[in-house]
Amino acid sequence: MPSHDHSDRPSAGHRILPLLPLIAFLCLDVRGGATAQEKFTMSGIIKNAENGEALIGAYVVVKELKNVGASSNAYGFFSLTIPGGRYTLLVQYLGFRVLADSIDLTRDRTFNFALAPEPITVGEVVVSGERSDRNVTSTVMSSNKLEIREVKSIPVLLGEKDILKTIQLLPGVQSAGEGNTGYYARGGGLDQNLILLDEAPIYNPSHALGYLSVFNSDAIKDVTLITGGIPAEYGGRLSSVLDIRTNDGNMKDYGASGGIGLLAARLTIQGPIVKDEGSFMISGRRTYADMFLKLSSDTTINRTSLYFYDLNAKANYTLGEKDRIYLSGYLGKDNLDYPDVIGLRWGNTTATARWNHIFGDQFFSNTALTFSDYQYTNLVGTSTSQYEITSGIKDINGKIDLQYFMNATSMFKFGVNAIYHTFMPGSVTAGPTSSANSVSLEHRYALENAAYVAHEFEPLSGFKINYGLRASMFSLMGPGHTLTYDEYGDIIDTAGYGSGKVIKTYASFEPRFSATYLIDEASSVKGSYTRTAQYLHLLSNSTTANPSDLWVPSSNNVKPQYADQVAIGYYRNFEENEFESSLELYYKNMMNLIDYKNGSDLQINPTIESLLVLGRGWSYGAEFLIRKRAGRLSGWVGYTWSKTQEQFPLINNGTVFPARQDRTHDISVVTIYDLNAAWNFSAVWVYNTGNAVTFPGGNYWIDNRLVPYYTERNGYRMPAYHRLDLSATWKLGERSNLNFSIYNVYNRMNAYAIYFRQNRTDPTRTEAVQITLFPIIPSVTYNFNY
Amino acid sequence: MNSRFFRHARGAGIAATALALASFSCQKVISVDLNNANPQMVTEAIVTDGPGPYTVLLSRSGDYFTPSLYFPPVTHAFVTIADNLGVTDTLKETVSGTYHTSVLHGGQGRTYYLRVVAEGKEYDAISTMPPRVPIDTLVALHSRESDGDQVYNLYVFFKDPPEPGNYYRMNLRVNVPISPDSIDGRRYHLYNDKLTNGNEAAVRIRMRNYFQPGDTVWVDLLSIDKASYDYFNTLNNILTSDRSPTSLAPANPNTNLTNGALGYFAAFSVDSKIIVLQ
Repeated sequence: MPSHDHSDRPSAGHRILPLLPLIAFLCLDVRGGATAQEKFTMSGIIKNAENGEALIGAYVVVKELKNVGASSNAYGFFSLTIPGGRYTLLVQYLGFRVLADSIDLTRDRTFNFALAPEPITVGEVVVSGERSDRNVTSTVMSSNKLEIREVKSIPVLLGEKDILKTIQLLPGVQSAGEGNTGYYARGGGLDQNLILLDEAPIYNPSHALGYLSVFNSDAIKDVTLITGGIPAEYGGRLSSVLDIRTNDGNMKDYGASGGIGLLAARLTIQGPIVKDEGSFMISGRRTYADMFLKLSSDTTINRTSLYFYDLNAKANYTLGEKDRIYLSGYLGKDNLDYPDVIGLRWGNTTATARWNHIFGDQFFSNTALTFSDYQYTNLVGTSTSQYEITSGIKDINGKIDLQYFMNATSMFKFGVNAIYHTFMPGSVTAGPTSSANSVSLEHRYALENAAYVAHEFEPLSGFKINYGLRASMFSLMGPGHTLTYDEYGDIIDTAGYGSGKVIKTYASFEPRFSATYLIDEASSVKGSYTRTAQYLHLLSNSTTANPSDLWVPSSNNVKPQYADQVAIGYYRNFEENEFESSLELYYKNMMNLIDYKNGSDLQINPTIESLLVLGRGWSYGAEFLIRKRAGRLSGWVGYTWSKTQEQFPLINNGTVFPARQDRTHDISVVTIYDLNAAWNFSAVWVYNTGNAVTFPGGNYWIDNRLVPYYTERNGYRMPAYHRLDLSATWKLGERSNLNFSIYNVYNRMNAYAIYFRQNRTDPTRTEAVQITLFPIIPSVTYNFNY
Repeated sequence: MNSRFFRHARGAGIAATALALASFSCQKVISVDLNNANPQMVTEAIVTDGPGPYTVLLSRSGDYFTPSLYFPPVTHAFVTIADNLGVTDTLKETVSGTYHTSVLHGGQGRTYYLRVVAEGKEYDAISTMPPRVPIDTLVALHSRESDGDQVYNLYVFFKDPPEPGNYYRMNLRVNVPISPDSIDGRRYHLYNDKLTNGNEAAVRIRMRNYFQPGDTVWVDLLSIDKASYDYFNTLNNILTSDRSPTSLAPANPNTNLTNGALGYFAAFSVDSKIIVLQ
């Protein structure tokens, strides 16, 4: 235990106070009791000196005080209250030069720090003693932040950088399938991930049927993934939070950057609205392969359309010292038309308006109004008799989040949140010559409210606790009808509700707790417990993200999903924090998971709730990570051992079976190497146990067809999956670079699917056939920055 | 490399789509160890509105990789089919595992009760024969795809009755064999009036590379009940979706037979028409 001068610490009274019930803190004199020395608050914003972007998670350390510091929040704001005196402040952020500043704290003061990016050094390994040890000291666990630099260096399929594919390389996260953006967090389902883009939920994060995500990495500033110990400010999904923040835009200069790859072209424009006061950013991306289809003389091909685009736009303006407003929006669309065969359109739209206000020096508030919309359209039939099937979900979300930085060892977060959901379960729009009848299933409406409070404090030196509670409530609202079913799924009762009438309400208390004990300066143990509730459910007829996936609310027939998770971990840094390592163990129990009766028709089905089967699932595992964030060689090695099982009353005769995402071993090795000013290399190797799959145990003959007979759900395994990818970036001077990458370098024939068929020459013989999706694939991308 | 999977998948209206992906995929035969399940009773039983006798086939399931299409018949079973008018027919075993009715006349709107007693177990099923829906016309349109494939789009026109809840199965019989390996050969052509109740239906059956100009095609339009539709639909899912890795875990079809038997009992009415392809 490091030695410690107690006179610098808050009074003993402070240590006891937080042990009182949570609510009590609101009644307390927040300045605390008598202290030996008068305290003052320093607060401000930490920015990137080059472009004025606020830095998220930068750290202010007071050199003279052991273990005293503050980190900047999602808007770059920090606040630290310490006894008056002369101090040296060290402000640090990964990849930036450490800024040292001598201050005389004799009154409450505002400091705005601007950090300069560290230049890429040639032939020199930079070892500074100021590397962050926050992974060891903070109460945050089961959480990983991705550097956009890493996302941009790591090789990916066809060269299109993608954060959803990069997070799949982290321990505890498993890919839904080769080249797919869907992911499972600690054994949770695809619908249990809360994906936020500037605080607006994204209901379907995939383009191109799941092969690419909707996140254009040019527009993104910060990516944080949390798979355990989920803080109280997040709610609504069971298993993980992916918090994505877009760039604010350059406050200093106008600039354009972009690139062209095999799949898509990108362009970003940014600059000041008023220098150092406001800025904007507009970023777009579009695939262009369809342009060539137009040139074809074949009438089917030149009518084929196959593209997607993304548009991110953001503006912010600083109104004096205390206020800042942000407006941001996202628009993305996919179009997939092959005349007379398939016609799919889908896309997300989001908008976020935010207002940051600082009350005094210790209170930070963020008020946000967000809108999120997902729409799916399927054109069915040929051009003369075509009809459209549409479905979707729309959210209006208002929230206020407050952070109170009480003193150097005590911080509160609290807030409220109200979401109004509109579910559009499906409608058919038929033209006059169409064979279909126009019909629209009733929209469903729901109000999801939540309030939370969390308190982080240090009752003993080196021992930190973060405890909180999220209270959430979900009400299905009228107008609408409810159906009641008997055990066979037949309707036995119908009830109608007027506009604004509450049909069914569920309320949950979700405790969130985490604690950190510092063993010494470089190591700690942490533990967490979280309960999460999820009121929305994703119905899908696929194991990967699909445009037709349907979000449905909890109702009189469908209960909310709940999860309890406990995790413990050991964290240790080596070589002056140059290497971070951790070992985490978790156990998660999930209730009311959704599956379907066999043969369920999920499209335009007014009695869809009668087809759902509720069950339970649980997952446990061990995750090991060693990571080097800075220096010429950076990257990580992650290993996960885990087990995930499910049980449903009507599936597999009610017996326990392995979940599809049950993968015993999962290894990722990521390395990034800056050779010199011109060349940067990276390599990724992944290995995982194959998915659990269902294979037949016999066959039989019926209707002149050979039919497989299934006995055990997920009773078999696909072969193990492994692959090596390489990438090299060649800087063509200051302003542009060429990226070469090779996917699946040693051309491993990984099994994407295994199916069974009768042998072509001898139909009495049945054979197993393995499909490999991606052999070795090279690609090249050009990027520029002006 | 083989683009066959994607050709089929596209026809099925699923993931195919990423045209670029098609050129990458490849497949190979591998060996897989499977646990052999205990043999199960398999029942295939129909009653139609055509003249009898109607047939019930009883057999047992076999091991998956056993190189044989021989499935042992279930002999000496006691099989009856009764209708809701009080007629009960005890079926006679003419060939091992094949049982025939002798007095029963299938009629539209009637409900039929199957009972099979074999090897100490009893299996029951109920099926109701819907009224016959006539085919109005058949139209076949020929086209050639950009990849050189011959495609026939066969349209079956009929008028769906005004009340909701009609289910159909279309059977094609051709003067050339359809390869049992092909999805086109194994697929069921099913239709229901969920979205099109009471309208003129134009069901398209897309056949790729299996027909030639001059072929004669018999089209049967079967009016089936909901349970039979559910069976054929879930059976079809197994037969056609096994090449799509993203489909949900496969399960045995939803049967209307009790006691864990495999197979189905369907009473249906049939209308047929013939078309000669141009």
